[in-house]
Amino acid sequence: MEILLTTIGILTIVTLTIIVGTGGKPMRAVSGFKETFKAINANRGALVITALTLVVLLVFLYAFYFFPHRNMAPEQPIPFSHQLHSGVKAIDCYYCHPYVERSLHPGLPPVEKCLHCHNCIIANHPQILKEHEYYNTKTPTPWRKVFHVSEHVVFNHKRHIKKEIACESCHGQIREADRLRTHRFKMGFCIECHREKKAPLDCWIACHS
Amino acid sequence: MDRRTFLKVTGIGSVAFAAGCGSETGEKLFTLVNAPDDMVTGEATWYASTCRECPAGCGIIAKSREGRLVKLEGNPLHPINRGRLCMRGQAALQSLYNPDRLKQPLLKKGDKWQPISFEDAIAMIRYRANAAAAAGPNRVRMLTEVVGSTLEGVFTDALAGWNSSGPVMYEPFAYESLKYAHRQLFGLPILPAYNMEQADFILGFGADFLETWLSPVEYAWKFKAMHAIQDGTKGRFIQVSPVQSLTGANADRWIACRPGTEALVALWLIKKALAGGAGYHLPIDFREALDEITSDLDAAEVAAKCDMEAGQLQNLANRLKAAHRPLVLGTASAAGPEAAVADLATATLNVLLDPVLTSYDFDNRHRVEAAASKDRVLEFFKAMDKEPVRVLLLHQSNPLFSLPPGADIAGALFKKNLFKVAFTNSLDETATAADLVFPIQHALETWDTYEGKQFVTGTMQPAMGKAFQAPSMGDVMLKAAFETPPASDYKQLVAAKLTGRPDSASSTEWLRLVQKGGRYFKGRGEGNRTVAPNPDMLARLQQYLARTGKNERHKFFLAMPSVRFFDGRGANKSLLCEIPDPISQVAWQTPLMVHPAVMRSRQWKDGDHVTIASAAGKLTAPVYGYEGLHPDVSAMTVGQGHTAYGRYARDRGLNPLQVLDAVVDQDAGGLAYATQLKQLSGTGKRQQLACFAGSTSQYNRKIAVSIPLAELTAAGKHEKDKHGLTMEDFPFTPPTPAGYDRRRDFYPPHEHDTYRWGMVVDLDRCIGCGACVSSCYMENNVGIVGEERILEGREMAWLRISRYQDRKHPERSNFLPMMCQHCDNAPCESVCPVYAPHHSAEGLNNQIYNRCIGTRFCAQNCPYKVRRFNWYDWEWPDPLQMQLNPNVTVRSKGVMEKCSFCVQRIKTARQVAKDQDREIRDGEVAPACAQTCPTGALTFGSFMEANSRINKLIKDPRAYQVLGYLNAKPAVIYLKKVLQEI
Repeated sequence: MEILLTTIGILTIVTLTIIVGTGGKPMRAVSGFKETFKAINANRGALVITALTLVVLLVFLYAFYFFPHRNMAPEQPIPFSHQLHSGVKAIDCYYCHPYVERSLHPGLPPVEKCLHCHNCIIANHPQILKEHEYYNTKTPTPWRKVFHVSEHVVFNHKRHIKKEIACESCHGQIREADRLRTHRFKMGFCIECHREKKAPLDCWIACHS
Repeated sequence: MDRRTFLKVTGIGSVAFAAGCGSETGEKLFTLVNAPDDMVTGEATWYASTCRECPAGCGIIAKSREGRLVKLEGNPLHPINRGRLCMRGQAALQSLYNPDRLKQPLLKKGDKWQPISFEDAIAMIRYRANAAAAAGPNRVRMLTEVVGSTLEGVFTDALAGWNSSGPVMYEPFAYESLKYAHRQLFGLPILPAYNMEQADFILGFGADFLETWLSPVEYAWKFKAMHAIQDGTKGRFIQVSPVQSLTGANADRWIACRPGTEALVALWLIKKALAGGAGYHLPIDFREALDEITSDLDAAEVAAKCDMEAGQLQNLANRLKAAHRPLVLGTASAAGPEAAVADLATATLNVLLDPVLTSYDFDNRHRVEAAASKDRVLEFFKAMDKEPVRVLLLHQSNPLFSLPPGADIAGALFKKNLFKVAFTNSLDETATAADLVFPIQHALETWDTYEGKQFVTGTMQPAMGKAFQAPSMGDVMLKAAFETPPASDYKQLVAAKLTGRPDSASSTEWLRLVQKGGRYFKGRGEGNRTVAPNPDMLARLQQYLARTGKNERHKFFLAMPSVRFFDGRGANKSLLCEIPDPISQVAWQTPLMVHPAVMRSRQWKDGDHVTIASAAGKLTAPVYGYEGLHPDVSAMTVGQGHTAYGRYARDRGLNPLQVLDAVVDQDAGGLAYATQLKQLSGTGKRQQLACFAGSTSQYNRKIAVSIPLAELTAAGKHEKDKHGLTMEDFPFTPPTPAGYDRRRDFYPPHEHDTYRWGMVVDLDRCIGCGACVSSCYMENNVGIVGEERILEGREMAWLRISRYQDRKHPERSNFLPMMCQHCDNAPCESVCPVYAPHHSAEGLNNQIYNRCIGTRFCAQNCPYKVRRFNWYDWEWPDPLQMQLNPNVTVRSKGVMEKCSFCVQRIKTARQVAKDQDREIRDGEVAPACAQTCPTGALTFGSFMEANSRINKLIKDPRAYQVLGYLNAKPAVIYLKKVLQEI
């Protein structure tokens, strides 16, 4: 994507320069090279400003839509890796998110649950010591939200799990990511699937309240 | 690039640059440290407890979401309230989350409050009390609200340890006159429960049993059990009183009488009953003496003194004679003049007419009978002048507000060398006068028992974690007063009390009892007490008759108990201030009710300022014209006009007690909540009343409809059989395809899949108490707008109860609960430019908040005026936001909102049904209003289920639709109120 954008940028600047230099007749760049160069030289201030503006615009578009870390979830208080826990160690999702089958919310593991294992496994790792610190001071871990749904939407995890919708179909390849990518669910995403599966489409009865 | 993207880029682009393209949102998810067994995030947990907003002691279940309480409901297992709650009970969460709730003990230093720690405060109480006790007996005294027997025991033991006599229980409404009457008749000052549901005729002399009297939720269902229409007949209820309270408005007939003459009516009825042969079971000499006293009473003369008609009196006598199981009730909680005699005469009349005392339940007496009479309370404060009391403990009582200024409580409190400790959660008037204010746990955070009635030991348990650090009252006393406490903590004492065994706080029996909400003994007490009249009462009656001989025509002022504030303790809750008074429909303010005839003669209009003056004081109030008054009477509700007690109570409304005398009855010891007026005059100023009602007239429209009983049984024709297009002959059109008629309808009928939700409102059962309104506010996060905004017309109530006056008899009122009608032909849906009101597949009219752009066309086009526009973002001052229901969106400025039929409850029921692979059963969903209605006036269900309760109810010939002739096909079907002429 970066290459594509740079190529488009350079090509645009070159084309623009030639068009300005030849007064709108690009073939003259070959026939009357000197005149063209003069014209470009005369307009160099305007051309530089235009080129800079274009570069800034492209950089902005790139940063706004394609910046590699844009979708990266915020840094968590403890750099928990889903890849390691659910991917490599293959711990079931339900172990840490126990209410996913019986409630709206999947639930997050209480601090004590982390320590069930980590009392033995790498108990002295600095990050695990942090977890111990949370437990000993009775402080809730301030995890940061990764998946966002607007607050007037009630997404019912239980219903979707009971219909055997895989976690991955909304949450993506959790098992493959150390640090998750943040996601803001939009209504279109829900509706598409609801249409396909003939699920309820009624505003209040289905999703909102 | 389309417009949307352009806006996105220009708008968000700059923000994104400013924020460095980050995705930091600041939204955190906190995990628990240890997961409790009973908490599943997203699911509600319910804890049984007991309501302590008044001494009735209703059972409640508290809904907890993620560790915070969000809603209270009645405990269905509880024998007192049977799953229902009143308006004040619903609002109890606002005392738990009150923004003015104290967090730390405050010690008075000069004019300032200094926060101190709980340990220091306890040590200070301990030190002061021990020092006082060492100086001599009775140096430590205590005034408390009526508490359960466990806490009472701790108080008594603690005070005994300090060499002092036990606590005095203070309740502003202590029913002294009723207790006096029972002492004269049964030998003991007791308050037995009434088996009202078994009566077929009730004659009340002001007892406001639907508002505050003894146990309002219990008597509301008992009253409707006898008064609802069954097999073409219904019980009868007549009230004779100078002012028509909400209870009087629910009587079949309300008869005005002069204040203080209720006893005269009762005595005349005693005469008639004796003449009719009643009272053979009474001692012969007592019967003869009664006969002798009453023999001189002449119907015409009595009627003249009472300002009644002789025919009305005779009618009362005839009705009593004809009734199989008559019940005579005495005066109101806030009793008027001569209340002692009135209650004595009415109780005697009851005993005369009820030889085997079936109307009393002596085994189930109301706990409030433990409250001390006012003369004892006044004596308590007076004695402090004489006795060298050094430490005064005040537990949850506010005598400085709830006793008239003449009682000079302030004088007693500001004595030198008196250390006053107020155990309360808010700086009320009495706490402001104290030296140490000690916040304690709220009833929903503590372990305790409360015996609302003898056979009912209700339990309280901490229904949420410690959001506030205050200790429980019991624990404070255990720490402060005992060298060797009787138990390690108060919970042990509670468990021992409940199970009868010490150290049972972890036993299964105890856990079961706590889970159930208490110990409820089965079995009803029969009238096992005999009538043993005290001959002294005859002298009192004679005195009264001699006195009322003089026919004086004073103007009277009465202070009425308030269904909203009880005795004033509700005034610090914004919700109770916001819900309008059921009679005047005025919120936040306290108008003076004056008879319209008086207002016409003085050329006053609603809102004009009027000054009233008695021997005790003066008060200037806006007037409100009300037909339910004796013309010589003006009245005002008790509860507002605080000078402290938090932001919602302070300087809001007026306190009628300011003009009352602190004179107690010589025998009963009760305070008269009435006084003679010396002055009643306009001031020329006026103010706008914060009134919800546009008008109490229906302007001949078909809104709150009533039908005489005779017509109902004779014709019994259902409105669906009508064929026409006018108001009179427009047919009943259910919101189903059955209601579709090609000739009438422009739009085709809606197709509904499995359910078509709807509601039936039985106006004959509705008593206008406002419990549903309170419940709706709590369930649906409805904003509290405050007095200033109500004056602008910005009220937000999703459900309101309108009072309409009868056209022919303006003193009669009809109450109409009005919420979104979820019409099938909804006028709101067709005018919205963005389709924000949406008709769902189950018939609900959904308001889609994030679609709404605030044109307000829908509100304009709604004939029922139930849509509410958010002109502002409403505030829930910290920590009131903790009461917000997480299942309901909090609406913001600029969107329209309205009743949703509690769609979140439908969704919860659907989850249960889907898990069990079935459809939602009839009765499984109850919106907050229907759940709490004390009389069961509201029924919710689906029209698609053939045998649903609502489908049965709409076959009733009383069924109609409000403004049905507009052909909106509302899904709320009303059943007409049934009138009987008696």
